[in-house]
Amino acid sequence: METQIKDALGHIRADVQALHGAISDAASKRGGVIKADIEVIPQKAKTVAESIKSSMSAQKDATKKALAEAVTHLEATQKHASESLKSSGQAFQTSIREALDDTRSAARKVSEAVAAKRSAESTKSPKK
Amino acid sequence: MRNYVAVVFDDTRKAYKGLDALWQLDNAGEITVHGTAVVHRDELGVYQVDTKETHPALATAVGVGIGALLGALAGPAGAAVGAAGGAAIGAATGGVVGATTDLVRADTRGQAAYETRFVLGSGQSAVIADVSEDWTAAIDTRMRDLGGIVHRRAKSTVRDDSWLDDPFPYPYDSYLYPYEYIPSEYAW
Repeated sequence: METQIKDALGHIRADVQALHGAISDAASKRGGVIKADIEVIPQKAKTVAESIKSSMSAQKDATKKALAEAVTHLEATQKHASESLKSSGQAFQTSIREALDDTRSAARKVSEAVAAKRSAESTKSPKK
Repeated sequence: MRNYVAVVFDDTRKAYKGLDALWQLDNAGEITVHGTAVVHRDELGVYQVDTKETHPALATAVGVGIGALLGALAGPAGAAVGAAGGAAIGAATGGVVGATTDLVRADTRGQAAYETRFVLGSGQSAVIADVSEDWTAAIDTRMRDLGGIVHRRAKSTVRDDSWLDDPFPYPYDSYLYPYEYIPSEYAW
């Protein structure tokens, strides 16, 4: 089975997946989340969102729509991760949980964009 | 087409080989995987969902959700009731999967134990996945080669409204990792 060389969308997908991995790793640490691990999340989320925005113009409508929704979720990730840094106790945990849910939703939207792109390409050159 | 897939294997290590194979199919562009998780049942009949979460309440939520989805996909009663009712039957199934830390749901356990043994026998594991696939042969062939039994249902036919009164009202998709997560004890 051949592994495809990652295109821009593939790299974006890997970045969002890594972001989810970083937040979920931090959230699962025993003794509570380590704030230092979370401090880098808002900037990472912003960087990925900017990367998505810059790649959107080259995509077709279905892909573009899913990517736009991913950006919205990543902006929510930024917001909730930033809020977590200013809070403590239950409010802190809630913000982290929300940031994790937002990132999962963003990852899902990016994978939907990938699926839309693959499906369109497959229609153009169907497999034998 | 967007589908939920459950692939049942005889043991957990094989299930993780199956999970890895799904993501390899994704890497090859044959399918697109949106999320995956592995559920297993030990020789004593106790269920476990592999997750990074350590909070008991969240562990329950994950177990309940994944169990509900597994029941909706592969439960015999779910299949008999049909698409819309399947999720509700699956919900009872999920009660058992996640109920080790949730005694409030004890009333669903008897029914769930009855239902889930048809889906996942003792010692078996299942990969649950949300996938986009233009044809089903890619997954079916690969999983058959690995010894897995594939259950599949269109995502649009799995109604996810059985948790309106649930203390953990997360949709099914919330329980699936959006990347290949393999716990260190099963990594190779």
